Amino acid sequence: MENGIRIHLNFRKRLGGFVLDVDCGLVKKVSAFLGASGSGKSTLLNCISGTVSPDAGEIVFGGEMLYSSAMGINLPPEKRRFGYVFQEGYLFPHLTVAQNIRYGQPNPTDSTTVIDILEISGLLQRYPKQLSGGQRQRVAIARALAMEPRMLLMDEPLASLDNTLKARIIPYLHHVKDAFDIPILYVTHAFSEVLALADEAFLLSDGKITATGEPHHLLTAPSAMPIAQLTGVENILSLPVMLSDKARGVTSLEIGSQQLVIPYTDADIGTLLPVAIRAEDIIISLAPDLPISARNILRGTIQKMDIVGERTLVSIHVEAHPLSVKITPEARAQLDLQVGLSVYCVIKANAINLLWR
Amino acid sequence: MRITPAEVTALILSIKTAILSLVVMFPPGLFVGWLLVKRAFPGKAFLNTLVMLPLVLPPVVSGYLLLVLLGRHGLVGGFLFDVFGIELVFSEFAVVVALSVISFPLLVRGIMAGMESVPPELENAARTLGASPVKVFWTITFPLALRGIIGGTILGFSKSLGEFGATIMVAGNIPGKTQTIALAIFNAVQLAEDATVYRLVFISTVVAFVALWLTERFTLR
Repeated sequence: MENGIRIHLNFRKRLGGFVLDVDCGLVKKVSAFLGASGSGKSTLLNCISGTVSPDAGEIVFGGEMLYSSAMGINLPPEKRRFGYVFQEGYLFPHLTVAQNIRYGQPNPTDSTTVIDILEISGLLQRYPKQLSGGQRQRVAIARALAMEPRMLLMDEPLASLDNTLKARIIPYLHHVKDAFDIPILYVTHAFSEVLALADEAFLLSDGKITATGEPHHLLTAPSAMPIAQLTGVENILSLPVMLSDKARGVTSLEIGSQQLVIPYTDADIGTLLPVAIRAEDIIISLAPDLPISARNILRGTIQKMDIVGERTLVSIHVEAHPLSVKITPEARAQLDLQVGLSVYCVIKANAINLLWR
Repeated sequence: MRITPAEVTALILSIKTAILSLVVMFPPGLFVGWLLVKRAFPGKAFLNTLVMLPLVLPPVVSGYLLLVLLGRHGLVGGFLFDVFGIELVFSEFAVVVALSVISFPLLVRGIMAGMESVPPELENAARTLGASPVKVFWTITFPLALRGIIGGTILGFSKSLGEFGATIMVAGNIPGKTQTIALAIFNAVQLAEDATVYRLVFISTVVAFVALWLTERFTLR
């Protein structure tokens, strides 16, 4: 599975003034497309599923041509056999959960696997409107899997759920990933989901792929900054757990030779945890021994300063880890900040958000 | 209240022709409704206008146009008369044609309302699950549009029951042959047969009320 390109996407689609123009190969089991709303994520999936026709180009799955403007090929969606999980679920309201699952099934007797994996055996006789948001999405995933698809397309399947529910669905997605030997194409605007699920990630911005790579590398790299800023989070760090103390209610992460204390989370020592910190939530101090309640005082060096709107964006390296901090120009002048200066980053434990675990 | 055999004949004829026109027009109504809601094609606005025209045209005008078309010297009627010796107008068949044309817009409107209520996303979802467009229609679009379809059907049926203008133009007012309830009421009023008028008015009001009430029951929830 890791060798060679499984799915090749090279097509253009214009929708009004917007143009989606992609050229990429998907090689891993779970490929994620990360982009803000309006970046073309849904259009991309619709073109791959066949519900929307591109204007030109090619879509190849394995060795099979699904779409080719040059060869005049455009396989209809029902012939592509791609399971599609929609953000809103789109369960058929007049059918029970069992009938929904059976709808696309080539062999109507065997759906026990998907029903077990998604734990929906108790819901089979219900109608979609009797389901909660999380149950609905699990059924939607089961329905897409029951058709025995060659690939699973997921369009922000968690976007309509609140954070607690998201955290509960992600393990199901892991089960799906482990139990089915099919590639999954996952589209989202949430960093956390990409880090939690994907083996490779593509950044989609204004209809174009701007960066590609292994999710942890890609999302902690500067190239991910524009998207991070769109989602309101400038700092994404992936750090190993040093110790977790339930009694004190804290977990410590290793950041170089220093520690980053976050609210307690049940994780094994050594596990990489992705955390997000907003640039506004970091305070710059010139001295380390402040009489303050904040748990984290990290030593670092100023690398760069940029004016962003009415604020100054200060890039600080805490050993090898870059942190972006937003301050006012007055603060910058008062502290007389210069590139190369040693400073301390003060961060409240509660301002650090765990992206997933 | 004693209903005379002649009145029973008129009532039966009304119901029979209304049902017949519905049976004949339902498949094309379903197709046209689907076409107008779910498909984009050149001339869509024109087709929509053509289908809805009898709704705004005075029924007498629709009836007259049908008479011109189907009459012994008309485009269709002339051919059938000359070749087969069949006369279309002033027959039960003509009643059915008149009712079909007049009730068709109401039938299609109901079907369209039903189909508009079916999100295209659900139909796309069904396609991705392996369903052909035909299967999508019968398993998703049709059942989800059923409320509107039934509504349009009952409304079209009720319209047929009370149709007067087009029927009298193209089918005449022949007792026992083309005289429906509405025409019988007209006749009785002309002849000042008050008792007959009251009975027929009562019957048609009850039938219309029941039909409309059923529509509301199916379309409201």
